[in-house]
Amino acid sequence: MKKIIALLLALVMVVGLCACSVSKTEETKPAETKAAETNAPAETQAAAPEAAPVEISLWTYPIGKWTDEATVSALLADFNAAYPNITVKVEYLDYTNGDDKVNTAIEGGQAPDIVMEGPERLIANWGAKGLMVDLKDIVPAGTYDSIISSCTSANGEVYEMPVCMIAHCMAINRDVFEAAGALQYLNEETHTWNSVDDFFKAVQAVYDAGYDYVGTIYCGGQGGDQGTRALITNVSGGTYANAEHTEYTYASQENAEGLARLYAQDGINFDTAIVASDEIQNFVNGTFQMAFCWNISQEVNNADALGFDVLPMAFPSDTTPSLQGGIWGFGVFNNGDAAKIEAAKTFIKFMTEDDAQYTKAVEATTFAPVRDVDGIYATNELFPEYSLLSPLMGDYYQITKGWTQARTEWWNMLQRVDASDGSVEAILAEMTAAQDAANAAAAE
Amino acid sequence: MAKNNVQYSKKQRRLVMQENIAAYLFLLPFLVFFVGFVLYPMFMCIYTSFFDATMGREDIFVGFENYKALFQDEVFWIALKNTMVIVLVSVPITCIFSLWVASAISKMPVAATSAFRCIFYLPVVTGSVAVTMVWKWMFNNYYGIFNYLGKDVLGILDKPINWLGDPKYALGCIILILLTTSVGQPIVLYVSALDNVDKSLVEAAEVDGATPKQAFWKIKWPQMMPTTLYILVITTINSFQCFALIQLLTSGGPKNSTMTIMYYIYYNAFKLYKYGYGNAMGVILAIIIAILSAIQFKAGQEK
Repeated sequence: MKKIIALLLALVMVVGLCACSVSKTEETKPAETKAAETNAPAETQAAAPEAAPVEISLWTYPIGKWTDEATVSALLADFNAAYPNITVKVEYLDYTNGDDKVNTAIEGGQAPDIVMEGPERLIANWGAKGLMVDLKDIVPAGTYDSIISSCTSANGEVYEMPVCMIAHCMAINRDVFEAAGALQYLNEETHTWNSVDDFFKAVQAVYDAGYDYVGTIYCGGQGGDQGTRALITNVSGGTYANAEHTEYTYASQENAEGLARLYAQDGINFDTAIVASDEIQNFVNGTFQMAFCWNISQEVNNADALGFDVLPMAFPSDTTPSLQGGIWGFGVFNNGDAAKIEAAKTFIKFMTEDDAQYTKAVEATTFAPVRDVDGIYATNELFPEYSLLSPLMGDYYQITKGWTQARTEWWNMLQRVDASDGSVEAILAEMTAAQDAANAAAAE
Repeated sequence: MAKNNVQYSKKQRRLVMQENIAAYLFLLPFLVFFVGFVLYPMFMCIYTSFFDATMGREDIFVGFENYKALFQDEVFWIALKNTMVIVLVSVPITCIFSLWVASAISKMPVAATSAFRCIFYLPVVTGSVAVTMVWKWMFNNYYGIFNYLGKDVLGILDKPINWLGDPKYALGCIILILLTTSVGQPIVLYVSALDNVDKSLVEAAEVDGATPKQAFWKIKWPQMMPTTLYILVITTINSFQCFALIQLLTSGGPKNSTMTIMYYIYYNAFKLYKYGYGNAMGVILAIIIAILSAIQFKAGQEK
């Protein structure tokens, strides 16, 4: 019996060794042979694209309903009806841990084939590190150039196929403002404040009507920091970064004065324990009377909980308001597999080229399209109101280098300002320290 | 001694060898995991700490530059101070409170002991995110229960306190939450340690006139020392590695008042992609934990 077992074991070992040597032989085939073999199917594929099955991965950040399984499954069903040979495996990310997941995957050589996000990650981060595929060949020439330029890296390569965009705005509780007599300070038709002074008068009126928490400068973390950046730079007329997107410029006298004015205003509070999602929650439940981090998606998602009339507004400015834009689209990681890259591009083209499919892809985001499409959001009552703010979208400075560090420096700066005496000098000193650290990161 | 002089026959030696091989084969799966998921990452952590390592480019050897930069980093020292405060406050409180609760409930009927064990162990088995979210709600500046009780019910607060947003209170809140999630396991361990105390020794001491206090400190406590040592080491390590609470509640703020070394490692490695710098911090943290654990073991052995 023992001899039989020993014989069997020996047999398994010999077979194993043979198997190893076969794989080894395959692995050590000359490079030319391998290249020739790879080329041959590629030609065949060109002739019959449905022949070779390919599996690609798509990781989506929470852009509207692009993390809603039913919505995404419907979009994928459309795609698979046209390309049954390409299987798309989806992973849904959130903004709390999404970056960690992607970065860990990159480090482990398991980056997704397609990722859906904005230029601050696709261009300024992963693109700048040489991890993305240039999508110039699938970007339609001569269309929506200004958006495409925000998706283009300094070396001229396009790392994002834009799908949708939004001008982030603020919002007020119209019912409370009306009761406080504060609607006189704004224009409901254009969704703009009459002036910066009138914005402060409106806040004071609501505060005097008995609301302690009119608006809150949240700085518990980086989430939704576009709201506080836009508020401060619009109130003061200052800038956040230079036009070339090479350095940060927010440590200016006017920005410090604007923040000092907000600091001193009754009803405007700093809160170092909350981030934008908490602010939105507090606005929706009526605790705050303004939200500085708002867009159409917030109103759609909170429709059932909102017990008052929301009025989306541009940020207060004495000139033309400059709203912080958001652009989202698809980027392709260069995983070194030509077939997967091609399949990823096929997926992106499918979602963006045809008007009918593009409409579905955009409506799933709840945001505005980056190009004109007839009939989009035809039944959406909110879209016409929010689309009035789209022309106010300002410079897309999120692609400035060192963006990650700059964001951290910003909310930490606000925390220090909260603990300061609120003087212009103290605020400028804190802004300068934060800006220096951000610029140091940009220069690395 | 006599065993060493035993002469094994060839057959016996073969049997011993077969047993050894079988033992190693059984150990092999664990060893593979241990090497792959513990030793290799440890080695890579130390190795990478000598490099300027980031995403998307080759690592650059920088020698001890990361360590030099670390000791000049103001936030690192704040993080180290906060971490030490957490450890020095939470470890003794956890141990003393657990021992007190275990002593109290071990005298109760079996059903009551089990019920209390379950209650105190619940926060351990509940997801840390869920527990943290409940605490976040309770500490809420605008409608949290603590402000409601302090201001509206008891009238001891003039205005709501921003518990997690005020540098004076934020770290204390973190420690409080950490305590509630840390005491469960020590209580269970102490209850079973108390059950395992040799009752005949306690009875003999009582017959000889020992008071309950004397019986506890002279008879029970020495027998519970191994458990105490284990609890001390585990609680210390857990306190040093406090991360989820910070990540979910404060992101290290306000004004770095809740920044811990673990969170600062995460921030540098995964937010700023400074892997080498983050790993250098990881090495320093490991050294600190190792030294403290060695001291605890030494002290425990002497007792």
